[in-house]
Amino acid sequence: MPADATAGAPRPPADPARAERAARLAGCLERARAGEIGALEDVVRELNPLLWHVARAQGLDETQAADVVQTAWLELVRRLADIRSPQALSAWLVSTTKREAWQVRRRGRRTVQSDELAEVADDAPDLSERLVTDERDQVLWRHFQRLSQRCRELLRIVAMVERPDYTTVSEALGMPRGSIGPTRGRCLEKLRDLLRTDPQWSPR
Amino acid sequence: MTGPAGDWPDEIDEAILDRLRDLHTRLDPPPADLTTRVLFAMALTDLDIEVARLRADQLAGSGARATERTRTISFEAASLSIMVTVVEEPDGRVRVDGWLAPPAPHRVELRMEPAARRSALVAQADEAGRFVLAAVPRGLAQLVVHVAAADGATTVVTPSLVL
Repeated sequence: MPADATAGAPRPPADPARAERAARLAGCLERARAGEIGALEDVVRELNPLLWHVARAQGLDETQAADVVQTAWLELVRRLADIRSPQALSAWLVSTTKREAWQVRRRGRRTVQSDELAEVADDAPDLSERLVTDERDQVLWRHFQRLSQRCRELLRIVAMVERPDYTTVSEALGMPRGSIGPTRGRCLEKLRDLLRTDPQWSPR
Repeated sequence: MTGPAGDWPDEIDEAILDRLRDLHTRLDPPPADLTTRVLFAMALTDLDIEVARLRADQLAGSGARATERTRTISFEAASLSIMVTVVEEPDGRVRVDGWLAPPAPHRVELRMEPAARRSALVAQADEAGRFVLAAVPRGLAQLVVHVAAADGATTVVTPSLVL
């Protein structure tokens, strides 16, 4: 691994597991830049769930979301030279996926009435009793659905982000350091308020 | 409850976020083939590409006569629009008729996953931008159009599609 592969990282990882991950991803990026696109396989596997939820949180259906995620990765192929660190990679992919998803929605908007749009945007998966048997999960999901669309989108994506990428991804979502804390804080605080008044809830 | 902007969430926030992650993962998982499709689409030899966005994917004529079922797919890139119709053939394979706009005699390649007997089919578009790919096996595929222009060549690629 070349010594300069992680030099551009904005925040050096603090613990060994994070350092190992950063070094591994940086190595994959380096090989991909040298022309070995297959080196990105692990990166694709790791980041696809996050990108999927970014696209779905924008209100796309499953076919559109899968297509937008593909488009973001294809755009990455031509921008590889610009992406210098694993944190920058996650952030770049998240913002590209979000922009692509937004454009797909905007095109769809032309044929959809504005009041139907709220339904399109409100794309929460159904709570299946079969899949979610834990009572705390059911309580959490019920209250999560009471949050604003904006808060649900934000918390859904934040929940999927690997912690080392958290700050750069938040910035990529259009919430720079000055506002991400308060925005995330407000959404989480609202959710915690709802949960606190529910006797069925306990966090652990 | 949370610290200054940029701090990590506290313990209860972490517990809530962990549960939300787990719930979304279970309730709305990515399609099982998403990673396969992404890796296939990215496995290009040329990295100097222009990405064509999927604009429409419609099935028409899905009546009683399944042999006449036609799927129309259109893609749009900055320099080129691609429209293809995919027609099922009686032997289970498909025929792809395509149009490029603006029309030009570019070389069109249909990349197919390695499981297919051939890794790519190639057609030459005519002056009207029309091309035909016949006897295409079903499966994962990607269109690659080699655009020859006065100011240099460009390669336009589509996302992968399941034929």
